[in-house]
Amino acid sequence: MAKVSIPTPLRQFTEQKDTVEFAGSTVGEVLGGLTTEFAGLRQHLFNDEGKLRSFVNVYLNDEDIRYLEKTDTAVKDGDTITIIPSIAGGR
Amino acid sequence: MIRITEPAWQVMVDHAQRQYPNECCGAMLGVVRPETVDGEPSTVKEIARAVPLENAYQGAQEDRYEIRPMDLLKTEREAREAGLELIGIYHSHPDCDAYFSKTDLENSCPWYSFVVLSIKSGVFDHANSFLPNAEQTHAEPERLLSPATRPV
Repeated sequence: MAKVSIPTPLRQFTEQKDTVEFAGSTVGEVLGGLTTEFAGLRQHLFNDEGKLRSFVNVYLNDEDIRYLEKTDTAVKDGDTITIIPSIAGGR
Repeated sequence: MIRITEPAWQVMVDHAQRQYPNECCGAMLGVVRPETVDGEPSTVKEIARAVPLENAYQGAQEDRYEIRPMDLLKTEREAREAGLELIGIYHSHPDCDAYFSKTDLENSCPWYSFVVLSIKSGVFDHANSFLPNAEQTHAEPERLLSPATRPV
């Protein structure tokens, strides 16, 4: 099982839980389990094509999965997956 | 509606003026609660604390800002420990108005309120708050109450 840390604004979709646990051999499988159990999360994390939205960063044990194998990154028991938004801008 | 308390507001304005002519950025922490506003039931985001964050943009910061995701995560954890929530993000627009620019929109996140502070010649001028959508194509103005703002 991997732990998934949920950002505050999305906890309304996870019964206010800040951490939930799901089984899966890859990050994609764990996130799939998460958004199946808590369906309201799906539209916030994924676009209509089923891809992670551009502002959604996913970290596996504090490493950005974009620099690993993205959603194919392997997950071990006890790993922590953290969802953090990407925020930038300018005039 | 978002209401910013005096102490948080002072931190935001001081930070924006101090970073001028560069853009500043930071987090706004507080609580969300139902309240009656102008006789109507409303949800009010009350900002109790502002946390200046480092502008991590690699390049000219006069017109860009970027928040490190791990800084945001750390801030969110600290907010939770203090019994607060991470409610919004603020940043400054040096020498231009407090609008939500194309760059702001294309790099936004719909989970938060975004307060933009206009700093002109180094001095605070006005501020506005926005709620971007998930497609990053539109930002709705959000009513902002602070010690010194023009209406949105």
